[in-house]
Amino acid sequence: MRNGLRRSVINLACAAVQDLLPASMQTWGLAVRYEAAAIPDDTEALMFTLGSLCGLIPRAVASRLLKPFFSLAGEYSEGPTIMSMLDGRRPRALGIICVITAVVLGIFYMAFVGAPARYLGVNVGAFAIGLSMLALLDRTAAASQRWGDGVSIAMAIAMLATALFGSEVDGAARWVNLSGVAIQPSLILMPVMLVTFSRIRSVLATISIIAAAVAMALQPDRAMAGMLALCLATLAVIRPDRHVCLALAASIISFAATLVRPDTLPAAPYVDQILYSSFGIHAAAGLAVLGGLAMLLVPAIVGWSRDAAHRTIYCAFGTVWFAAITAAALGNYPTPIVGYGGSAIIGYVLSLWALPKLSGVREGAAELARGTMDEPSSNAHLFVALA
Amino acid sequence: MPRTRALSPHARMLLAILLSAGSKWSHGYELSRRAGVKSGTLYPLLIRLEGQGYLEAQWQQSTEVGRPPRHAYRLTASGVQLARANPPSQAATIAWDNGAVVI
Repeated sequence: MRNGLRRSVINLACAAVQDLLPASMQTWGLAVRYEAAAIPDDTEALMFTLGSLCGLIPRAVASRLLKPFFSLAGEYSEGPTIMSMLDGRRPRALGIICVITAVVLGIFYMAFVGAPARYLGVNVGAFAIGLSMLALLDRTAAASQRWGDGVSIAMAIAMLATALFGSEVDGAARWVNLSGVAIQPSLILMPVMLVTFSRIRSVLATISIIAAAVAMALQPDRAMAGMLALCLATLAVIRPDRHVCLALAASIISFAATLVRPDTLPAAPYVDQILYSSFGIHAAAGLAVLGGLAMLLVPAIVGWSRDAAHRTIYCAFGTVWFAAITAAALGNYPTPIVGYGGSAIIGYVLSLWALPKLSGVREGAAELARGTMDEPSSNAHLFVALA
Repeated sequence: MPRTRALSPHARMLLAILLSAGSKWSHGYELSRRAGVKSGTLYPLLIRLEGQGYLEAQWQQSTEVGRPPRHAYRLTASGVQLARANPPSQAATIAWDNGAVVI
């Protein structure tokens, strides 16, 4: 790794974790960053930083998780409360609680059925990476208003590159090998791309979706192509326009192409087919899997019922993860979050970015009544890309 | 009131290094190397010690132009008492004296 790249990774990692840290720990995040800057050797500085951040992340996550409870006790003057999460006012916070619950239930299932201990660690690590990326995404998006379209194009290119140059198993090129770690880019990127598309209707975003559809046909990946088609069909029903219709047509062709191509991948243990097999092992394992999967849909259900102004976004979010669960139930595709695999966990956490930070029920309703907007003010940066 | 649970070998070694520094301020990287504690263990320890009043921290301007300030640490009076009451184990001390840290 080049020296400049190492320093860039240090700065990027520190910036991401800095966003995750509560106010009381911000000083320590800066302390790590500035201490690393004083270390002359780049590799040593990188190792020092990554080690330090690994030490800080659990405390930061614990602090964030405990904050609502302290808030209820009146120790915090601001921040999300359990009630504000459950009534849909803080969809992202609710989503994070749901994914934590699902990861924990998945770990329970894997421990119950005797999965290797490192599988449990990988899922927990993926959650930490997802949270860091979410913080970074939020920070970057706030810094640049044209970011939405750019990242959609980048995600589509990544999926096309995977189809063309990715690791191939039994004729399917869905994975990228990063230093011995195989990830499935489409499972990480497709959900956030689709939920973002539910609120951004631009030419570039539509082109990105079409490119992603082509990538799914080339890989081929029935599950992700199905997710694409189902989400776009839902959007076409709720709020049709030429962008959605064009993207839907491409996604249907893509899905059809994946159906005619053979898919002979066998089921991977602790990844595929666990919805059925878990109940066969023990009812508790089955309930953990079922409960974990149900948690993935909670933000969409709560948002749909409590935040009428942004139903399109919640519907896209719910459809995306419903499609992932359905695919896992019907074929040899990864069971999201509760099964072994970090890509779905990172993908779920990233997709929370496209949900409103605050639902803004009152202000959104007022604006809608005036007919001046159809998107939440808390994510105003996304409007720039509207066609 | 700070908890009085048993200190880990890493915490004892870190306290010993800080104690040996006296009133002089120490930095994170230097502490990590001298105490043989990984940075992922060091910062949670520093946070805990500072939160319990055993450690004071301050920002110091770097002597090099263009460098950001650094966070520096030293024991408080109660931290000195804690360090004296909890010396590192003999094996760790010998290793430290020899310059090779094995805890």
